Amino acid sequence: MTLDVKYLNLPPFCFEIQTDIEKVIRNLQHIYADAFQDSAIAPDYFLTLKSGSGLRKYLRPQARFLADQHEPFKPIDALNGFALLEWGMNWCIATQEMRFVIVHAAVLAKDGKAVLFPAPPGSGKSTLTAWLAFHGWRLLSDEMALIVPGTNTVIPFVRPICLKNQSIHLAKKWFPTAKFSSIAKNTHKGDVIHLSPPIDSWQQNTTSAQIIAIVFPRYIKEQSLEVTVLNQAQAFMALAENAFNFSLAGNEGFQTIVKLVETCQNYEATYSTVAELAEFLEQDVLPNAHP
Amino acid sequence: MHIHDIIIDLFLGKSPGQLPLSVWVQVIRVLRYQQCLARIGWRLQDSGLATELPVYALNHLKNADLIAQKQYHQVHYEAMLLQRQLQPLTSHLLFLKGAAYSLNDDSAVGRGRTYSDIDLLVDRKSLPVIEKELCLYGFVAEDLDEYDQKYYREWSHEIPPLRHGSRGTLLDIHHNLLPLITGRAPDISLFFRHTRQTNAGYTVFSPAAMFLHSTVHLILSEEIKHGFRDITDLYLIIEQYQNNDFWQELVSLSIESGFAIEVFLALRYLEKILSLQVPVAVHQKLSTYRPSEFRLRSLDFIFLRKLKPAHPSFGNHSDVVADWLLLLRGHYLKMPLHILLKHLGRKFYLQAVSAVFGSNFLDKKTENHRNK
Repeated sequence: MTLDVKYLNLPPFCFEIQTDIEKVIRNLQHIYADAFQDSAIAPDYFLTLKSGSGLRKYLRPQARFLADQHEPFKPIDALNGFALLEWGMNWCIATQEMRFVIVHAAVLAKDGKAVLFPAPPGSGKSTLTAWLAFHGWRLLSDEMALIVPGTNTVIPFVRPICLKNQSIHLAKKWFPTAKFSSIAKNTHKGDVIHLSPPIDSWQQNTTSAQIIAIVFPRYIKEQSLEVTVLNQAQAFMALAENAFNFSLAGNEGFQTIVKLVETCQNYEATYSTVAELAEFLEQDVLPNAHP
Repeated sequence: MHIHDIIIDLFLGKSPGQLPLSVWVQVIRVLRYQQCLARIGWRLQDSGLATELPVYALNHLKNADLIAQKQYHQVHYEAMLLQRQLQPLTSHLLFLKGAAYSLNDDSAVGRGRTYSDIDLLVDRKSLPVIEKELCLYGFVAEDLDEYDQKYYREWSHEIPPLRHGSRGTLLDIHHNLLPLITGRAPDISLFFRHTRQTNAGYTVFSPAAMFLHSTVHLILSEEIKHGFRDITDLYLIIEQYQNNDFWQELVSLSIESGFAIEVFLALRYLEKILSLQVPVAVHQKLSTYRPSEFRLRSLDFIFLRKLKPAHPSFGNHSDVVADWLLLLRGHYLKMPLHILLKHLGRKFYLQAVSAVFGSNFLDKKTENHRNK
């Protein structure tokens, strides 16, 4: 079967996408809209998502992900192909783009001031991200903060927000008119869905922002907002743990993280109501930003 | 101008002139596939061509350089541990190939070179105790089926690869340069006489023996994925270390160990592809090892394709033919006929299973076995 060749223009990167899986193409069109293009000048990564070979194709179809000729993951159910492609794109950036210090974190900004939300899975980070992005904040990134070494500057890498399990229903209830991908069921992360952020996040996807705060969110059921100020050592350790390429970026990466925790407000926040946390961010964190 | 020629020019420090961005996209893609991005990066810096590059190329070269630097530091760390743990257990402990390139002091071939495993050469006698010792330090053998176990233990020149449980480091421990089954495995004590110590105290082959080892690997392999990386490895060793002694040692060692034909061929392709100048005296000494015109023509057909900066997406039918010929030749050279037939039979069976049931059918099956 021939593969369709298309492009995802997602500043600061451009991906060539070849796929023969109809459902993946429909998801790409729906979620990425104008960023999903027929031509591109300079693709950085060459990705293929194809249905597995042989009889398998007809019995239990699989999707295989290839970055150029390399296959970093095992194939998964073809119905979950779009999620595999999203993870594949993350993999490319996390393993190749060493010119940025990459932190596993969501980044949202208001008035050019960005807050970094580094967090392990299960902390409610993506639900928080989705809520903020649809309540006046600009999404720069849901999974990876691309930080210019030696600065507080974060480069947007606008992609859909990846929501898991219970938060899928929550998000659909909160944002009934938003664009959701199809649900990928029973993946290694459970059920996942991808949510396209609002139009203004897409429109400003080449506008960088300055990181002014680092907030480690932790969702705990029925708990009212509790904010702890982290000292610089605590913040450093917590941030370094979430840095994808901390060791790769070497001394420059280390210096960047040090500078970030020295110049930012650093908090840990446990919450159950997103609105409450948002209020804290808007009233206490943003106005206190160092210039 | 063909993309091959552009990349070769860049490697040799010749300006290919103004290239459109779309050509740079192809150049970077091929170099990444060939694992040569970081290498071309420093070659361009050194030759002054880096100032003419578009931002697109600079970004990818910078990324590759950082990845290579990281690996460079990592291999020094691993080598320090291995040296400490294994030195007392064996009379010879040599680092080979990629790791040796990195550990060698100021070696051009080690600069920006990346690789997926660390290769060691030790005494065959000491293998059992080395394997046990490494197990204590967290290195465990990959899961292998009976056929592969038999292959390694009886026919091969190495033990099954060991992987470190937490760091993921992959170790290949050899006791010879070629599988014993080939009948071409050299008397290894000959090679133990051509070594040098690095400043940090690691033992590696002398430049001539290093060149010979890399040549044997390249010319006798049944599959060449990173042919351009491999031929530029050879080029850089010669560029940095060539002098009368180097050439003499190379010629005599290659004749003594029975690899003069392989060296003849490697030098031929270095001349043809990278315009290397080989001294006339070396040519004369190796001229008796020149294969017949017919053989040479078919070897040229294979190697002139596989050693240029190739990429499967930019290949054509003759590249596929070259791959097949290489596979057949590599196996034919390495195995006696009856074993070759058995081995190929098994390979074809596995391929047939994959073709019918999908490429990951066999992976699945092992999982099921484990579940039982």
